[in-house]
Amino acid sequence: MRLSRIMVGMAMTARELLRSRLVLMLLLVIPSLFYTIVGLTGTDRLIAFKLAAIPAKPVIEVSERSESLVFIGTAVSGLLASYLALGLMQKQSEVNRRLVLCGYRPSELIGSKLAILLIVIVSVGIYVGGMLPIFFRPERIVPAILGFVLAGFVYACYGLLVGALLRRELEGVLFIVLLANIDAGWLQNPVYYAGAQNQFIIRALPAYYPSQLGMIGAFTAYGVIRPVIAGMGYGLTLLLAALAAYFVRMRVRR
Amino acid sequence: MLEVEHLAKSYGRHQVLRDVTFGIGPGQITGITGENGSGKSTLLEVIVGRRKPDAGRIVHSLRFGYCPQELLIFESLTVEENLRYFATAYGLPRRDLAWREAAQSLLERFRCSQYVRIPVNQLSGGTKQKLNLIVAFIHSPDLLILDEPYAGFDWETYLQFWEYAHELRSEGKSVLIVAHLIFDSAQLDSVYRLTRGVLECA
Repeated sequence: MRLSRIMVGMAMTARELLRSRLVLMLLLVIPSLFYTIVGLTGTDRLIAFKLAAIPAKPVIEVSERSESLVFIGTAVSGLLASYLALGLMQKQSEVNRRLVLCGYRPSELIGSKLAILLIVIVSVGIYVGGMLPIFFRPERIVPAILGFVLAGFVYACYGLLVGALLRRELEGVLFIVLLANIDAGWLQNPVYYAGAQNQFIIRALPAYYPSQLGMIGAFTAYGVIRPVIAGMGYGLTLLLAALAAYFVRMRVRR
Repeated sequence: MLEVEHLAKSYGRHQVLRDVTFGIGPGQITGITGENGSGKSTLLEVIVGRRKPDAGRIVHSLRFGYCPQELLIFESLTVEENLRYFATAYGLPRRDLAWREAAQSLLERFRCSQYVRIPVNQLSGGTKQKLNLIVAFIHSPDLLILDEPYAGFDWETYLQFWEYAHELRSEGKSVLIVAHLIFDSAQLDSVYRLTRGVLECA
């Protein structure tokens, strides 16, 4: 694996992204638009919930608006990251294959894409988390941002896997939107989770650890190591599966 | 330079290539003709490694250039960026002047040097096709595998292409080209015709 090839791949991937108006618009507009809607429609009514990832299970009491902002921040970070990852995998996949036929290694190509993806995920996480103090004062801002970054990472790995397995964009988008909608956009809301049956299903979904991490960071002073490690492990498992599928798809058949 | 022996390929029950055997020596331009759907593109795709053959053996120069029938270049990158990306794939150093001069010369020959800083998605179909072809040449390969490379070319560029192909031949390089036009047969040293997956000397 050559570093120079990865660097050139990163430069070209970044240029492709920066020249895509849709991607830039999604990354910049969607988080602030969603926050604005939640900020305007949420109320100051206090709601009480417990977080499954805190063993002591304390009752957390915060305003409905604050809880909704953290919840939607996780969902937006995950959705944007997975959509971006899907695009990086699916779009120009045959051109990337030509690069492989010309001598690029699949590992160099995926490495360069992953590096750019991580930069975008961290940027989006900081952007989304950085807007929280406009609406309320989080208990700890860094773990809350970490929750958004982790949501981006786990869902990006899911997007990479979907992109490596499916060739058509519409199918890929459906797979991403449907899961993100039910998981990050609904089931992981602690208010819903508290009264849900068969909670093991919710805990097995990609946004569980990131959303728990975001909530713990924003509303408590409890430790965040466990959800961070578990979330990273979840994401890395998806990433390994995505890499395996990508190598099979890109291999030179001689 | 290139040896293909008993190659077979099918898509499901549809047998596309049947026991295809042929070879190309140094300094030869070899054409493959055939009707639409006769398996010409599949044959080239199997040779370059885009598809796996069901049976058979392929031996060729490791330093080959491949121009596919469809446009396989990055639309949102400029001409210059595409060339740099593919040069990196070929292992050509960024600061190496030799390939940069070769690329510049190819751009001038095919009259696209004025477009180097323009994103490909702003270029005409013919210019995109020229870039699709130039990408296959920049590392000075010994063997060129070209799948209808001049579709969309104007007449002058078409003639330029053949002039360049003959120059390569005189340098001892080989060209395998999927050709359609009757006119092309005069440019070729040998011609094969593919009919329902069976290759015959034309």
